[in-house]
Amino acid sequence: MFRRLNVAGLVLVLAASLAAGCGGKKRPPAVATGAGAESGRTLPSEVPQPVETGPDVRAVDTEGARGEDFTMSDPETGEGGPLEDVRFEYDSAALTDQARSTLEKHALWLQNHRDAKVLVEGHCDERGTVEYNLALGEKRARAARDYLASLGVASDRLRSVSYGKERPLDSGSNESAWARNRRAHFAVSR
Amino acid sequence: MEQPATRSKVSSGLLSRAAAVLAVLAAPLLDRATWPVQVPPSPPPTFIVEPGFQRFAIPDCVPRRGDEASREVCRAITQVLRADLQFENLFKFVPQSLMSAIPTMDPEAPNFTDWKGVGASVLVVTRAQVTGGEATVEVRVHSVDTGQAMLAKRYSGRTDNPRIFAHQASDDIMTLTQYRGVARSKIAFVSDRDAVPGRKTKEIYIVDYDGYNPRRVTVNRSLNILPNWSPDGRSLAYVSYRRGNPDIFLAAIYEGRSTDLTGDKGGAAFAPSISPDGKRIAFASSRAGNMDIWVAGVDGSNPRRLTSTGSLDTAPTWSPTGQEIAFTSDRSGTPQIYVMDTEGLNVRRLTTVGNWNDAPSWNPSKQFSEIAYTARLEGGGFDIAVVDIATRQVRQLTQGRGSCEYPSWAPSGRHLTFACGRGSKWQIAVADRLGQTITMLPAGPGKNEQPDWGP
Repeated sequence: MFRRLNVAGLVLVLAASLAAGCGGKKRPPAVATGAGAESGRTLPSEVPQPVETGPDVRAVDTEGARGEDFTMSDPETGEGGPLEDVRFEYDSAALTDQARSTLEKHALWLQNHRDAKVLVEGHCDERGTVEYNLALGEKRARAARDYLASLGVASDRLRSVSYGKERPLDSGSNESAWARNRRAHFAVSR
Repeated sequence: MEQPATRSKVSSGLLSRAAAVLAVLAAPLLDRATWPVQVPPSPPPTFIVEPGFQRFAIPDCVPRRGDEASREVCRAITQVLRADLQFENLFKFVPQSLMSAIPTMDPEAPNFTDWKGVGASVLVVTRAQVTGGEATVEVRVHSVDTGQAMLAKRYSGRTDNPRIFAHQASDDIMTLTQYRGVARSKIAFVSDRDAVPGRKTKEIYIVDYDGYNPRRVTVNRSLNILPNWSPDGRSLAYVSYRRGNPDIFLAAIYEGRSTDLTGDKGGAAFAPSISPDGKRIAFASSRAGNMDIWVAGVDGSNPRRLTSTGSLDTAPTWSPTGQEIAFTSDRSGTPQIYVMDTEGLNVRRLTTVGNWNDAPSWNPSKQFSEIAYTARLEGGGFDIAVVDIATRQVRQLTQGRGSCEYPSWAPSGRHLTFACGRGSKWQIAVADRLGQTITMLPAGPGKNEQPDWGP
């Protein structure tokens, strides 16, 4: 009985390690969320301690590190997602200190979520012409994208697009709406 | 479709031949034009109506039969023809109160003394009837002084949109002047009226110049913006995000086909502008890294980059000759309008007043050497302004309507359209070139913007 359980336990552990799959070991332990992560975390208590354990068994007995069940942006609209917007000054595509520190957090997150691909959307407030804002939005998207790339995010995971003033987050016509609309948004997909 | 260039050449050529043409005056013309197939613009007009001096009398259309369908068509003809000719902003009109004092006339034999008495110099007599679902409309234009018919046309076609008879008649009457009529022209624009719920999609529509008869062009449920007419009025270049990236497409609107012009070249491509000869297309693209002006064949072939300064260069617009391009650049630090030749050489700055001048539209008439654009003036809002290319003098067309943006000239160059509003409330406006009369079009629901006035 005991022996049978032990075998079953080993199979479970092996399955878990297989499921962790490629790249899992290289990653620093990420914040585990979602169902897969939870079952991973409960594994150790279910495995009865064998009388003689070897280092190989312990080696697979790591934290369940399959934490890839992250929130993604809406696949249709690109809205929402795990990465907060980066804001810009009026008529500017320059990254502020605040923007840089946000992008550094994003880069870290992207290192921890290697499946994730990001479409960096450049947006503008409603002031100014359609064409100028398309060009400005392009500059903003590229500034954010290039900074992420400079922080080590592989360029094949990054794309950029300008929406100019065509897709405002806030349709109001006041300073706070404009400030929210001058942004780089990060549409995250797998 | 009629070729605008041909028609204006015909009528301006006639100015010099007016004397020779006088001989034809004796024979009133009655040619049959069947809509939608149009008769070529011949025989040539027999009289030149001098703008500014003529006082038009346009009495109510007379139904040839008493049935409701005929009366309905007649009501539309009267109303729309008056509105069309008034919009041309060239003539005076006998007020309706004076016309109603004139006894019911025989359309075949108007009493010209009566009309002279109310100050009319041109009398437009219209009659209509509906038989078997088809409408027939007759229009005669008389000189009140001589009683002679300067123009007589008979139109026939379906009854579902009788406005089109009046529009065609108005444009035919305009061939008596040296100007090209605007009544059959159309405006393309962008609207979110059919936006997919939860997605900020926009589609492209066309509408008659007076805001009636809107029709949807794109149906791809993506973001479609910045429409630009081909000079023959059969195609629209526009920007679509259907592949996730702004690319330029060319839609043959009467065939329902769309061609990808810019392909998967990377970067953005937008602000298409088709040349006056319809053979080339200018646009803005970041495919080479920076936002520059490019020119390609209208099929997208042989793209060439015209600007390479490292600044944002956008919004190209062609001169009437097709030999120059105006565009916006922020190379001076603020967006300003520049002009260059089609090799990208001889670049010179056109606007000097204000710190944001953008979205130029070159008046397509060689008669007016001027460019309309969007300007930020005192107070932070945007307004439509026009700069005279020779004198650099600027006139402001709009004020106090929220922001007004995106000017586009009518093919005649005597009117222009733009969009005014703020936030999610934008509507299409039309105005004469001096901005004396600005009318908001009843173009339908939604946020309506980015108008482009086509043939």
